[in-house]
Order: sequence, then structure tokens, then C-alpha cells
Amino acid sequence: MKNNIKLSIFAATLFLVLGCSEDYLETSPTEFISAEDLQDAAVNNPALVAGILSGIYTTMVETGTGGTNLDHDDFGQKGYDIYSDFLSSDMVLAASNYGWYRALTEYVPTQDFTSTTNYKPWRYYYRIIRSSNEVIATLGGNDAVPELAENRWVLGQAKTLRAHAYFYLTQYFANSYDPSAEILPLYIEPVQEALPRSTTKEIFDYMIKDLTDAISLLSDFDRSNKSQINEFVAKGVLSYVYGVTGQVSEMKTLTDDIITNGGFPLMDANDVLGGFNDINTPGWMWGQDITTDLGLDLVSWWGQVDLYTYSYAWAGDPKTIDKGLFDAIPANDVRKGQFHNVAGGNYLMPLNKFYDPAKKIGGQRVITTDYVYMRVAEMYLLNAEAAARGGDEPGARTRLGELLSKRGVDPAYLSGLSGTALLDEIYLQTRIELWGEGKSYLALKRFKKSTTRGTNHLSNVGVTIPYDDERLTFEIPESEIQNNPFINNQN
Amino acid sequence: MAFVMQFSFAQEKTVSGTVTSLSDGLPLPGVSIIVKGTTRGVQTDFDGNYSISVRSGETLAFSFVSMKSTEVVVGASNTINVAMEDDIAALDEVVIVGYGTATKQSFVGSAKTVNSENLEVKSFSNVSQALAGEVAGVNVINTSGQPGTAATIRIRGFGSVNGNRDPLYVVDGVPFNGTENINSINPADIKSTTVLKDATATAIYGARGANGVILITTKTGTSGQSAINVDVKTGFNVSLLPRNEVIRNPEQYVGLAWEAKYNKGVALGQSNPEAYANAELFGNSGIAPFYNMWNVANGGELIDPVTRTVRPGVTRRYDPENWEDYGFQTSYRQEANLSFSGGDDKTKYFSSFGYLDEEGYLINSDYKRYSARLNLSHKPKEWLEASANLGYALSETNNNGQSSDSGSIFWFVDNLPSIYPLYLRDANGQRIPDEIFGGSVYDYGSDGRGFGALTNAIADAHYDRSRAKRNELNGNFSFDIKFTKNLSFETRFGFQYYNDKYFSLNNPFYGSAAGQGGSIYRRDTEYFAKNFLQLLRYKNNWGGHSLEVLAAHEANDWTQKRNTASMQGAVQPYVDDLNNFIIVSSPPTSWTRKAVLESYFGQINYDFDQKYFLSGSVRRDGSSRFLPGNKWGTFGSVGASWVLSNENFLQSSSIVSFLKLKASYGLVGEQAGVGLYPGINSYNVGNLNDGFALSNRDYGNPELTWETSTMFQTGLEFTFGKTGFLEGSLDYYRKLTKDLLFDRRNNPSSGIAVTTVNDGELLNSGIEFDLTAHIIRKNDFTLSATLNGEILDNEIKTMPIEPSTGLPKYIDTAPNSFAYSNGHSIFDFYMREWAGVDPADGRAMWYRYFDDANGNGQFDAGEGFDTADNGTGSIVEYLDKNPNANVQRETTKTYADATTKYVGKSAIPKVRGAFRLASTYKNFDLSAQFLYSIGGYAYDSSYANLMQNAQAGANNWHVDMLDRWQQPGDITNVPRLSDNYASDNRYSSLSTRFLTKSDYLALNNIKLGYTLKSNAISAAGIDNVNIWVSGDNMFLFSKRDGFNPSTSESGASNQYRYSPLSTFTMGVRVKF
Repeated sequence: MKNNIKLSIFAATLFLVLGCSEDYLETSPTEFISAEDLQDAAVNNPALVAGILSGIYTTMVETGTGGTNLDHDDFGQKGYDIYSDFLSSDMVLAASNYGWYRALTEYVPTQDFTSTTNYKPWRYYYRIIRSSNEVIATLGGNDAVPELAENRWVLGQAKTLRAHAYFYLTQYFANSYDPSAEILPLYIEPVQEALPRSTTKEIFDYMIKDLTDAISLLSDFDRSNKSQINEFVAKGVLSYVYGVTGQVSEMKTLTDDIITNGGFPLMDANDVLGGFNDINTPGWMWGQDITTDLGLDLVSWWGQVDLYTYSYAWAGDPKTIDKGLFDAIPANDVRKGQFHNVAGGNYLMPLNKFYDPAKKIGGQRVITTDYVYMRVAEMYLLNAEAAARGGDEPGARTRLGELLSKRGVDPAYLSGLSGTALLDEIYLQTRIELWGEGKSYLALKRFKKSTTRGTNHLSNVGVTIPYDDERLTFEIPESEIQNNPFINNQN
Repeated sequence: MAFVMQFSFAQEKTVSGTVTSLSDGLPLPGVSIIVKGTTRGVQTDFDGNYSISVRSGETLAFSFVSMKSTEVVVGASNTINVAMEDDIAALDEVVIVGYGTATKQSFVGSAKTVNSENLEVKSFSNVSQALAGEVAGVNVINTSGQPGTAATIRIRGFGSVNGNRDPLYVVDGVPFNGTENINSINPADIKSTTVLKDATATAIYGARGANGVILITTKTGTSGQSAINVDVKTGFNVSLLPRNEVIRNPEQYVGLAWEAKYNKGVALGQSNPEAYANAELFGNSGIAPFYNMWNVANGGELIDPVTRTVRPGVTRRYDPENWEDYGFQTSYRQEANLSFSGGDDKTKYFSSFGYLDEEGYLINSDYKRYSARLNLSHKPKEWLEASANLGYALSETNNNGQSSDSGSIFWFVDNLPSIYPLYLRDANGQRIPDEIFGGSVYDYGSDGRGFGALTNAIADAHYDRSRAKRNELNGNFSFDIKFTKNLSFETRFGFQYYNDKYFSLNNPFYGSAAGQGGSIYRRDTEYFAKNFLQLLRYKNNWGGHSLEVLAAHEANDWTQKRNTASMQGAVQPYVDDLNNFIIVSSPPTSWTRKAVLESYFGQINYDFDQKYFLSGSVRRDGSSRFLPGNKWGTFGSVGASWVLSNENFLQSSSIVSFLKLKASYGLVGEQAGVGLYPGINSYNVGNLNDGFALSNRDYGNPELTWETSTMFQTGLEFTFGKTGFLEGSLDYYRKLTKDLLFDRRNNPSSGIAVTTVNDGELLNSGIEFDLTAHIIRKNDFTLSATLNGEILDNEIKTMPIEPSTGLPKYIDTAPNSFAYSNGHSIFDFYMREWAGVDPADGRAMWYRYFDDANGNGQFDAGEGFDTADNGTGSIVEYLDKNPNANVQRETTKTYADATTKYVGKSAIPKVRGAFRLASTYKNFDLSAQFLYSIGGYAYDSSYANLMQNAQAGANNWHVDMLDRWQQPGDITNVPRLSDNYASDNRYSSLSTRFLTKSDYLALNNIKLGYTLKSNAISAAGIDNVNIWVSGDNMFLFSKRDGFNPSTSESGASNQYRYSPLSTFTMGVRVKF
């Protein structure tokens, strides 16, 4: 055809249009940021490096970090605080409508390694450990001391977070403190291959190293908000670690230091009825300022515990104080008033301890009430405990008295207590003061006590269980056993 | 163009005649007759007569459905009678295949074109659902009754473990993105739907062909044949498929609840279990006293402890509503389609307008669509043909009351104990007037309702809104240029666009947003996909040879942009704009997603003598999803077929009229399931104290690349009998997927729980058959039967490597109720085994397996499998390492002690398919299509939920609970009720107890039609009137009422599922 030339030009034009450029197959996400894009952006915006550390703090409150999609008890650190409060039995599932935590309160998952209730805390804490390892590796590794002050502070916080996570793993997954027992894989680098378990001693030694490093790295860190870890928070975590290893004199020194130099006044009688919902409360050492930006809703600690939030506590799964523990609070103790003491609906719920300030039942929908991780009151109690365990009973009575006098209780009665009775009193006060804050399970193990359920539990009423019982310790999850060739049995 | 030159005067004259059928001599109405090369054309009338003005020497082309087209050159005679021959095997039928067409005879691969009439009788908003039962080896899963839902389709098994298993849709030659977008194609505009199954057919789609391809071709005009079609359907949707049989009588319910409390009292060792039950029935750990609907004060007054039923004479304070009566509705379906088509030898057009308004039987669930289409093709020059296809759809979906949580009406209807009223009652049992919305105040369960407290899904569906509005446009523009007789160039630009505006609005007065003063969530999504194809095609015939070669380049990309916003504090309850709200409840978001695919491909088709056919194709695809170095993959196939019936030895056979043997082998790829950015590490961007917070999101695997499958198939296609009494096909295939996209579980202590890898091998193999028998073929009576089915086998051949050991992993138990390990199907059930009920105490039992090392016949510590105390963690690994283990079993009443294991049952049925009976009698036609599935199992979790040992007031029960164990010696499979007594609380946990045979038989569609033929309507200018009634989803027989294994891939039931609609339709079609 004569048209051939014309046609060829036409076709050639079309072929030119198609020529895809070199980077046609390159795409980049905007829903989140790729590590590569972040590196590029960080060149001109160094704040982004610190942002990776802040990311670990948000991981602590994010939902789904326990690896589910989306269990309503999977919301980070405070989620496992609830687990441990239920295991200690100081927190009571007073009714079960939607079923969250019910099996746990019946000790079903702690005896069934296929249950995801074991998987969630395991996944969460090792997730924190991995993120911390990445930050530490970026800043030069475990033995580095960065020149730049900002980087030193980031490193100190990351090491504290790593130790904090290991500490909870040792408490949740080992029946008791047995230095020679192999209990957990110890990841100190962001590697991917499976590791065998290290001994309790190795893990505690590493925690102590991390925290000691951190205290030094953070010594000149003036944090901008209480979401961050500073020197005193690191010391607080280390005090807990020493409490388990039995190094009570170190524990006492550290807690004395925090009380004296930390600048955290004890919450007073008003504060303890003030809602435990504001990170600016002076007695809080470490917490998380929850803002709408974090997007927390029903799936949150408040969504489980607070009647004044659109919550399970409101929808028929109330969390209350154990009747026996409640009865042990003296009538004149202001903390008795934290709990709703009128028989009938909402009986023994912590209506005056944890509440959204608006106090409208079912009211708070997007969570803006804050999370507490550590209070100075814990340091008073740990200090009294360390003193008592170390033989300094007068010192113990004094510290405990300082706390009690802020709770409307005359501490004079303490003078009559010594030996086991004094330790028992410190244990009781720890449970009362820190009810619902995820600390009583730690105390149960530290004091090597048994738990006996009060009359208001749904199951196992009156049953006594020692702290090192299988029922009170999570199982290494099925996924770890199946996918880690070096782990073949439970702790 | 066949011009026959002869000496004559070019004089116009009128030719007339009668067209008849050669086989029976009867006149054929509606035969189209065109003067070739002109726009002139007519049709035969009801008596087969026609007349047309022509010149001598011109050619008349006669064409009619299922008849062989005939051409006659006009000569001297003024009468031309034509007897048309039946096109029995329709061997010349054009089959649309990848990037071209073929005839049924010549196509080497497996392609099945679905009769559009079979699809049109089904009342669905899109073609995906209508495909059920039409093609062997194609499993259509209608996952929801929500009108406007696209079905999940699986072709030839399950191509991937964790990757994508959806087939590729191609509309008018353009790959179509997003299965759910298929709703934008009005089924009334579809001319043909072809399913491509084997590698020869799909390899030309390279990276996207591994799961099969569904080709959709929209209608075009016919030269010389102007037509107007009006099609009106009206009908209604009902919930006809049975639901779970549950206890509907409050007295019966409360009697069981009392018995459960009593048994719990016994189990707890209470000295007086009767008093315990009386005290506990109403209260904090029982039914909230507020919901005591009887005129008695307590459990003791309500229940007679001897009969364990409500005492005679007890009266009700009120009758609680049956929620189903309020949650379901009779719903209407209206559909109208109008189309115009026609054309001449240069231009053809088809235009249509469609309207669909369909309500689901669930309140406030509906789908409305306006659609329009314009298909135009034009030949401005002899060497150039241009065409444009444009489709538009505006749709609006309301989908209230079907979330997978307490917002689900289905959950309420089946699971709510029948003692709870829909409307709130005062102390006198009276409803309370609602001053805001009118009517009565709904009961949100805030007075301690033990089920779904603080919610009321029916009230929410009325008072709240969940609505999506979507504007959707798709189409393509193409130019075909003929360089020479043999060589042509085709280019096609295709696109898809939609803008979807979704909002969910919660009212400020009741329900979940009352505390916020009302709330809104808005989600706007914009999507644009484009596809650009350039293709060179060479075709030639010489001697007995025929050759076609094509080479092409194609680029495809899509971009999706989404914005969301959430606010609370409504000024007016139902204004859905953000300015109606005052507080930002969570930060607005927006993002862009993008995927790009670039491809080069070619194909060669060759045949000799219409006997031997060869086809080969190769395609190289590059994907944006993978990192540089792994982006490109090469795929291809070869295939051959042999038409034996064209050989001399069979040509005169009176038994075999058509017989083709075929075989093909190919390599196909898949990538869509891997996510968009699977190779990179990434961080979430967050705000912590107004500073950047970048938390780890995904750990990518930079090595990731294509999933590839090798697929072998062989088969035959045949027609037996001179008149084509039996026709059909038989295929065997074997598809081995290597480099599986596998979500490999890591040890979670490494901090990375899952890594997607290319590892492991999965084999799918099967046999497919499709048979049609024309049992009766008389003039006024025909009867035919079609049977198709698939026999499918699926097996993991190799598990991914565990990096720490370098050996394949033993097992991955991540999928609930299944597990992955060598030698097993991905749908082999892996769970604890139910051992029945102990007649002595009524407690449930399961099996514990153990390696009886000491041979004492009983389990001893350290002999178990699951408890991880024998060093493995699974019976699979243990037995592999200890093949000589002395495996024994015993029963246990502790669920956690029972062994999780393969139970020897699979979710994959032995055979599955459909059969159809079709008949015509005089002007009537009747057809019925049935679906069947035999030999599989499925987990009935919604039944399990209804058989749980729930606390009083917490959940309703299935009527099977009436068979529960009641006293020592009772032989039953239903354990005692004990009010969730702690050691009895795993009764309904995952075990073989709820593994149910998934056999079913369903009447998927039935249609009765009548074609009106009379001179009267003909005189009115109407060619044809068709009236019909049809029914979809008329019944389903399964193992248990309410158990519908056809609604999910694994057959598993779900308490939240919107069971498919049953539809009755009456339709009229008029053709002018």
C-alpha cells in the first residue's frame, strides 16, 4: 500500500509514547515511610533519628503489637499490666459479657501453650527488644558511648527499654527466680536467626549492665516530657531488677536516691482520688501522655477498665478489686474511697481511682486520659521492702509511714510490726497502693506469696495458689516452640 | 470482498424467500439478512419470510444463532429460499482468548465460554456471582447477601498459600484491576464471558495469569441490524435458605439456664444445688434481674425443680420480640435495561442504560446503580479501525447491621437469648415512647443484658448510616492499523477510574456515639488505573498452513488515593458533612498507593490442515512491588492439539463428530498477594508529644520476587453422534507452584514474627469434566442436561526452609483449624479430636495421643506431643523423628491436654460442580441449575457458638442443646450444661466436634420463560416479547440447617455472615 510510510510514522509515534522511563517500576509508600526514604529525609531533619526512639514509646501504647488483628486485649504495656493484675487476683473480673480475660482468670491459657494469650506478651516484649536493638545498633552498638549528647540520651533510653522488656519477660515466663535455669533467648543485636535460651543469671546480668549503662548515659539528660525515660526511671527499673535478684542494699540505695533527688513528690490524699489520668501528676515518674493523635479507642487500657469510657467495664465486663483486699483497707484510708462501696451495680469498681475527668458513664470515646508506668510511691514501697529485707526495720517503717501518712492513715501502728509481719504489711500496702497498676503480680513474685481469691471472683473462689505455680506463669507460646529449633520445652 | 462480476444491468429488484431449518424444515424467524458491504439488512418474520431490495451480483448474508452462516449471491431469480444448517458443535464459534480470538476448534488451551443466557437469567448485580456452577473447576463463593457484593472466585484449586488466589478479570481486552470493581460492569451489557484455565490460555497474561483469567466482552452493534431492547425485571429478595435452628421460646431457654446453674451447683459441691440455682439464676452471675420477664420474684418461683421447666401458671410481664421479625424485611428488586444497537459496514454502535435497585432482606441494606455504556467502532479508512468503549456506573450502597462485631444483626438474631426484648420495658412491662425518633425506645441492654450489652444492632441499623457512593468509569480506546493484508498493528489504551465516598454516621442520641454527641467517619477514595498496549500481529495462510504471530508491549499502573476524617459532636443528626461536627476525634489521614507492571510478550499460533495446532507464548513482566534485581520475571507456555475428527479415519464416523486431544505446559506467575512494598523495612509515622515517632512497621524481605507455577494439562473435547447428542470436555491438570509466597513464621523472640519468602512448593492437580446431553431434540420439545464438576487435590510438597537449621520447617499452625506441613493439603484440618461425652458425669472428652514408651497403656509424663515436653511441639515433627513411636490414645477431660493433630479430614470436597436441566416446549422454556459438593468437611463455628456452655443469659442455644446430658447413664454427644463452670468451659472450643460434612445440594437458579410470537405484536413493530419468572438460591440441603458451606473458601460458617439472598424475579424483554 502507498500508505505504508504514513502508517509507519503513525505506528512509530505510538511506540514512542509507550517508552516507559527507567524509574517507571519504582514506587514508594506514603501511608508510612520506608527505611530508605527515612534515611534521605533524616539528612536534613535530624529530629527523625530521635523519632525512631519515640517510635518505641508509641509501640508501648499501640494496638495489635501482640501480633493479633485485632484482639481487644492487645494494646501494649498496659494490656499486660491487666494480665498480671488478673493473675495476681487483686483485680477481679466481676462479670463476663464479651468474654475478654475470662479464660485467663480461669488459668486456661497459662496451661495451654497453644493459646494466643501466651503469644501476645511474648510477641510484644520481643518486639520492643528488637526495636531497641535496632536503635542501639544504629548508635554504635552495646558498648558504644556516643560523643553527641543527644545520641547518648537516645542510647540510654533504648537500653532501659530493652531491660524493661526483659524484666517483664522474666517475670511472666519463668515460674521463679532460678539463676541457673535457661529461660529466654537473649537478643542484644537486631539479628533474625533463632537463638537458644540463656540462663536467668545471664539475662539479669545483662539487664543490670544495660541499666547501669543507661544511668550513666542519661546522667545529664533533662527530658522534655515524662514519656521519656530519664536517669531516675532507669534507676526505678533497676530497683525492680535488684528486688528479684535479692540485691537489697543496691535496691535501697537506688530508691533512696530517687526519693531524695528525683524531684517527685508523693501523690497526696486528693491526688489518689484524682483520676490517675494525667501524666502531669507530680507523683508520676514515667507514663504516656495519651492524645487524640495516638488514635486509641475502645481497644485500650481505659477501654477495659474505666466505667466513664466507652468501655468493656461499662458494657458488662467490670474490673473490680478483690473483696478480700478491699476489706483489708482500713475504713479511714483514703484509698478505700477509690472503690465504689455501694452494693449493687458497679460494686467495688475503681470509680474514684481511674476515671475520665468528665465522669460521664460510657462517655470518653477517643482516649485522652493518660497511662501511668511508674510512680514515686513504688519507690517508697520498694525502699521499705529493701530495708526490711536487709534488716533495717526502722528504716522500712519510716518509709512506709511516709506513704501512709499521705493516705490518711496514722503510721504509728507500724512500730508494732517486725520480721514477717512487717514484710507482710509492706506487701499489703504495695497491693493497695498500686492496685490496677500492673505491679501486684511483680510483688507477689518478689515476696514469694500465695494468692487466695476473694468471694467476688467468678471462678476459683477461695483457691490458694503459690506464686511459682504453673497457673500463674505464661507458657512459651506454640509459635516459639515450633519455629525455634532450640526451644523444645517449657520453662 | 467477494464481487462476482457478470454481465448484467445494474438494476435493483426485490428478492424474497423463506428461511428454514435444514434439520426439521421449519421456518426460522428472526434470521438476519444483510447485503454484504452495505448497511441494508432485514430480518425474517415469524413465518421465516423476508423480502429485500438488492441488485444482481450482490451477496446476501444469512446469519442466525446456532446456525451456520450462509451466503447467497443474487442471481436472476427473485426468490431465494435458504435452508440453514444446524451449527451443532459450534466449531466455528469464535472464542475470545488472550489478546485475540480463536475458534472453538482451533484453540489449544482450555477456555470455556459461558452462555450469556445462562448468566442473564440470574438476578445479580455483577457477573461474578452469576458464574456459580457454569464452568468446571471454577468455584464461586458468594460470601455475602449484601446486594452489590462481588463473589470470591477460585479457578483450579488454591494457587498460593499466602499470596493472591483471585483470578484476573479482563474487560474488552484490558486487564481489570480489583475484583470488587466488577460491579461497574452491568451484566446486561456483557456479550460473552470466557474463563481461561490452563497455561496456554493464561500464560500470555504472565504475572497475573496463575489463578485463571475471566474475559468479559461487552456488546457491540451488528451491521445492518438496528435493534432496541427493553428488559424489565421486578422481584423480591427473601431469606429463604434456612438459618440455625435456635431456641425461640423464653420459657424453654430459662429452663435450660436453670438446669445449667443447678449442674454448676453440683459441680461446685454446693450442699443444696437447687437453692444455688434458684439464687443464681437471676443476679450478677446470671440473668440480670431487670430481664426477669415473668411475674415472679426469683428463680425459685419461676422454675419447678422436678421438671426443670417454668412452673405452670407463671405469666409473663411482656412478650419479648422475635428480633428476626424486626431485623429482616421483605425486600424488592427492580431492574431495567434499555439498549440500542446497530450499524453499517463502517460504523457499529451499542448504547445502553441500566437501572438497578435492590434491597437485601436485612434492614437498611441495599444497592442502587445507574449504568450506561457506549461502544462504538468505526473504520474511517480501509486500513484503520478505531473503537471506543465507555462504561459508567453510579452506585450507592447501604450496608448497615453487618459488621463483624456487636453491630451485626445476624449475631443478634441467632445468638441472643430469646428472653431479651428488642424494645425497652418499664416496670409494668410496657414499651417506652421515644421522644426523639418516635416509636418506642430500643433496649440497648444497659441494664445488664448478658448478651451484647450496650448495643442494639437493629436500632443502630435504623438510626445510624453506613453508606458508600461511587462514580465509576471504565473503558478503552483502540486503533487497529492494517499495514498489509497480513500485518497489523493494534494499540489500546484502557482505563478505570472511580471515586468512592463512604461515610459512617452514628447518631447523637443512642448507641455507641451518644457519649460523643454523634460521630462521623468519612473515607474518600480515588482510583485511577491505566493500561497501554501496543501489539503487532502477523497472520498468514498458505496451503494447509495457518500462522499467527504477535509481539506486544503493555504497561499497567494504578494509583489509589485515600483521605479519611473523623469528627464528633453533631449539630444535626443526619448531615454527613464534616462542617456539621465540632470536634476532630482523630487526626485526618491521607495516603497514596501505587503499583506498576510493565510487560513484553509474544505468541505464535500455527496449524496445519485444521488437524494439528500449536501455540507458544512468552511474557516478561516487571513489577514495582519487588526491589531492583528481582523485578523481572519470564513466563511462557507451549501447547498442542490434534483434531482427530478431521482425520480421514474419523471423518466419516457416525459416532464421533468432533474429537480433539490437547496438551499444554507453561510457567505462570503471581504477585498481587504480596503487598505493594514487601521488600522494604518501614516505619509508621506518628506524633508523640508533638515530635516524630517512627515505630517499626514491617520488616521487608528484599529478596522477594515472583511466585511461579508450572502447569501441565491434557484433555479432550468431543461431540458424539451425528446430531451432537453428547458433547463435552475432560481435562486433567497438574499445577506446581514453586517459590511460593509463603508467610514463614519465625520464632517471635527474634522480634520479626513473619517473613514473606519465596519458598516451598504447592501442588494442585485435578480432573474437570463438562458434559451436555441433548436428550430430546424435537421441533417443539427439547430437553438437555449438563453436568460439570471438578475433582481436586492439593498438597504441600515442600515446606519453606527454617533459616536456623537450613532444613524445611516441619509445620506451621498459623491458619486457624488448619496447618501447613509436607504431604498435606493447605485445607487439611488440624485440631483436637473430640471423644464424646462421658455418660457417667456428662463431661466432654477429647483424645490425648502419646508415645507409650514404657508400654503400660497409659499416658505418663513426658509421653505427650502438644505439651512440648517431648522435645518437639507437634505430633508431626515427633513422628517424623521417631517413626517407631508406639502411638496410643486415651480420653481426657482437660481440653489443653488433648493433642492437636491432623484429623484425616479435608475442607476440599471429593467432587464439586453443577448440573443443569433445560427444556423447551412450544413457546415455553424451563431450566434449572443445581450446585453440588460431595466429600468435604467444614468447621461450623456458628453452630459451635450456639452449643457453648454459656453463663445464664449470655448466649442462645441451638435446639440440639435439648439432647444434652442430664443424668448419669445418658448416652449423648452433647455434654452437660454447667453455666460455664470453669473446667467445662472448653466444650465448644476448636475440635472435631464441630467438623461437619460439607456436602450440599442447592437449587441455584430456576427459570420458566414464554416467548410471545404473533402477528399482532409484529404488526405493532415488535419483533419479540419474552416473559419469564425465575428464582435464585431457592434451596440448599446441607448437613445442618443454617450451615451453608458454599459461602466461604474453606466452607467454614461464621456467626456474622449475611447468608445469600433468595430472589424471585419476573421479567419482560421486548425487542423492537
